[in-house]
Amino acid sequence: MSHGHSHGDHGHHHHHHHGDGDTSSLPPALDTSVPDEELTPSQLSRRGMLRRTGLLGAGLAAGSVLAGAGEAAASVPEQSAKSSKGGGRYLWLAGDHHIHTQYSSDAKYRVIDHVRQANAHGLDWMVITDHGSVTHAKIGVEKVNPDIVAARDQTDDTLVFQGLEWNIPGAEHGTVFVHPGSNEVAVLKEFENSFDGSVNNASGNSPANEALAIAGVNFLADQVRRRKVKDALFLANHPARKGIDSPHEIRGWRDAQPTIAVGMEGAPGHQAGGIPKPNGPGGGRGIYDGSPSADSFPGYPLESYRTWGGFDWMTATVGGLWDSLLAEGKPWWITANSDSHNVYADTAVRGPGGDFNANGRYNDPVYGGGISLTDTDFWPGQYSRTHVGATSFAYKAVMDGIRAGRVWVDHGGLISGLDARLSAGGREVTLGGALHVRRGAQVDLVIRISLSNGPNWAQFQPSLARVDVIQGDVTGPVADKDTFSTPTTKVVKSFEVDKSTGTVRLTYSLGRLDKPVYVRLRGTDGNRSAVGINGAAVDPVSPAMDVLGDADPWKDLWFYSNPMWVLPA
Amino acid sequence: MTAAYDPSGVHPVIGVDAGTATLREADHLIRDLTTTLALPPGTVACTHLIRTDTRRGTAVSLALPDGESAKEAWRRLTEMGAPLGDREAAALAAAEHTARRSGRAVLFPGAELLTGTIPLSDLLELTAIDRVIVVGATSGATPDPVTPVQTQDHIRPEWRDGQLGLALVPAAGNTLVPFEVPNPTPCCADHL
Repeated sequence: MSHGHSHGDHGHHHHHHHGDGDTSSLPPALDTSVPDEELTPSQLSRRGMLRRTGLLGAGLAAGSVLAGAGEAAASVPEQSAKSSKGGGRYLWLAGDHHIHTQYSSDAKYRVIDHVRQANAHGLDWMVITDHGSVTHAKIGVEKVNPDIVAARDQTDDTLVFQGLEWNIPGAEHGTVFVHPGSNEVAVLKEFENSFDGSVNNASGNSPANEALAIAGVNFLADQVRRRKVKDALFLANHPARKGIDSPHEIRGWRDAQPTIAVGMEGAPGHQAGGIPKPNGPGGGRGIYDGSPSADSFPGYPLESYRTWGGFDWMTATVGGLWDSLLAEGKPWWITANSDSHNVYADTAVRGPGGDFNANGRYNDPVYGGGISLTDTDFWPGQYSRTHVGATSFAYKAVMDGIRAGRVWVDHGGLISGLDARLSAGGREVTLGGALHVRRGAQVDLVIRISLSNGPNWAQFQPSLARVDVIQGDVTGPVADKDTFSTPTTKVVKSFEVDKSTGTVRLTYSLGRLDKPVYVRLRGTDGNRSAVGINGAAVDPVSPAMDVLGDADPWKDLWFYSNPMWVLPA
Repeated sequence: MTAAYDPSGVHPVIGVDAGTATLREADHLIRDLTTTLALPPGTVACTHLIRTDTRRGTAVSLALPDGESAKEAWRRLTEMGAPLGDREAAALAAAEHTARRSGRAVLFPGAELLTGTIPLSDLLELTAIDRVIVVGATSGATPDPVTPVQTQDHIRPEWRDGQLGLALVPAAGNTLVPFEVPNPTPCCADHL
C-alpha cells in the first residue's frame, strides 16, 4: 500500500504512514530521525517501549531481507542465506488478531475504543474480528468498515486490519483477515455468507461441514490469487477449548492452503477469567471450562479442556499436538491474543436501547458507574502480545511475517525482545526459518533476550526466571491424520536467568546433526511449574494446569517462540 | 424416543434415545425418566455421547437392579409410545453401559449423599464410585482422603474398564472439585 491509496468506495485518502517499507513511511515513534520532543505523549510512550527491547532503529534497514512470502508449501519454509541474517534486522511489531466490538452480539466497545487502547498498550497492529453471524453478514461486516477506516486515519502508528471471527464449519472459531483494499469488505462478506458455520447452519461435526471449511480456506486463497485482495490469513482460535478441532481438521486446513491457514492461538484470550472471586470472575483462565461433547474429538483427554500456564493444551504440552505438527516438518505457528469483548474491571457498559439484530451493532457504550469484576478480558496489548518480525511497518509486512513464522508471544510483558538464531558456518536463520546444512555440520542456537526493562500493565516489573529449549526430530508427514503426539520432542536445556533488566545472551549447541530437527523456546517467571503431561523425562518444568477460580494471570507468565528447523542434507 | 433393551449381563440395561443433543438435555431426560418410570433405588442411569454417521448427540442408559424392575421399566417405556425405529444410538448406549466401557452416571447408588463439601473418602466409601482421578496432577501424588471435595451438587462419574471413576481437579484452598463444571461457558455467549 502506498500513500494516497484509496480505501474502497469511501474515497478516503491516506495522509499518514502506512507504507510499503521505505523508512520514510515509519510512524514517528519508530523513526529515529524524529526527535523525542516532536512526539505526542502516546508516541513517546511507544518509543519508550521499543527502547526497552533494545531494538529501536535495529529494523530500519528494512527491505533488505526476507525470502518470498508464499514459501510455506507442503514442506519446511526455506530462507535463503541472504534472507537469514536473523532477528535483529526485523521490526518486531506487537499485535493481536482477535478483538470484538459492538458489532458482535456478545461484546460492546467501539472500534476506536479498542484501537486507542491497543495503541496506548503498545500494539503496532491489530485485527477487528467480530463474530460471523446472519446479522453480521447482512449488516455488521459492512457497517464496521467505515469505523475501521476512520480508526486507521486517527491512529497512525497502529495498523488496523478488518477481519472476522469465522465459525469454522464443523469446528471452533478462527480469525480470518485480509489486507486493506477496495475489496476488503466484499471478500469478507462473500466468505462469511458462503462459509460461516452459523450463517450456513454448518457448525455440527460432519464430513460435509469439514469439507465446507476446506472450501472456505480455498476460497480465500483464490481471492488472493485473483488479486481481489492483496493477502488473506486464517488462524484457528482457542483450538482446544471444546475439543472440537480434531487433529485431522487442523491438518486438513493447513495442508489445503499452507499460505493461508498458517497457525492457531497458542494462548487463548479471556486471560482474566481465572482471577479469584470476589475480585474476579472466579472461572476458567481463557474461559476454558468445558467437557467432552458429542461434537468433540473422542481421543482428546480431559487435560485438553483446560489451559496450562494460560496456554492452550495443544501448545503447552511438550510432545503434544503442536509438536506433532512441527515434527511433520510443516509450518504451523502460534499466536497470543486478547479475544477482548468486555474488559475486566472496566467501567463501561453496553449502550442502552438499540436493537442489535436490526442495526447490526449495539449502541455506543456508556459510563456504567461500577466496575465489572466478573468480566474476563484484557484490552488488546494489556496482557497478551503476538510479536511479528516484519521487514517494514506495513500491512503486507505484518502478514508476511506471520506467514513466515517470525513470531513469538508473551504474557504480561515477561520479556520485551527475543532474537533467536540457529547458525552453522556462516549461515543462520531466525524464528520460522529452516537452516539447510551439510550432514554432520555443527549447529548452534544463540538467544538474545531483552528483559522486561520496565513495568507491565499491572505496574510491576516481571522477572524472567528460566528459559527452556525444546527440541524434537522431524519425522515427516504422519499416516494417521489424527496423531497428536510425537515421541522425541522434549526439553533439552533449561537456563536459569532470574533477571528483569538488561539483556541476556544464551547459547546452546545442538551438536553435529545428521538428521532433521526443530527447536523452539519457552520462558517463564518461574512462579508455577509442574511435571509435564508426558512425564519428567520429556518436560520436568512444564506450565501447570490452571485452576478454575484460582488462576491470577499476572502471577504465572510465560513466553513461547515459534520453531526453527535444521535440515541436514 | 427410541429404546433398546439388552437383558444380557449382570444387570439388565435399557437404552433410550430421545433425540437429546447435549449432556444437559440428557441429564434432564434422566430426571424425567426417574419419575415417570419410577426407577427403584440401586438404578444406575448414564448419559452417552453418540458419534455415529447418522446421529450426533446424547442418549441415556438405565441399568436396573434386577430383571423384574427392568421389565417394569420397559413396560412403562413402551406404554409411553417409544417407537422401535432406528434404535442404533439406544442400543449403543445400552451396550456400552452393559460392558461398563463408557457412560456418565447421573443416577447411581449414593449419589443423593453428594451435596455441599465432603471429604474425599466419602466418595469412595458411601457411593458406587470405585475410584477418583485427579486431572492435571502430573506429579502422580495421590490426594489425602480427608481432602475436601466441593461437590457443586454435580457429581458425574464415568464407566471405564469396568469401574465407575470420578475425575476431579484441584481447586482453591487445597480442595478438589469435579472436573465437569455444572454450567460451563456456552460457545459464543461471552456475557450475553
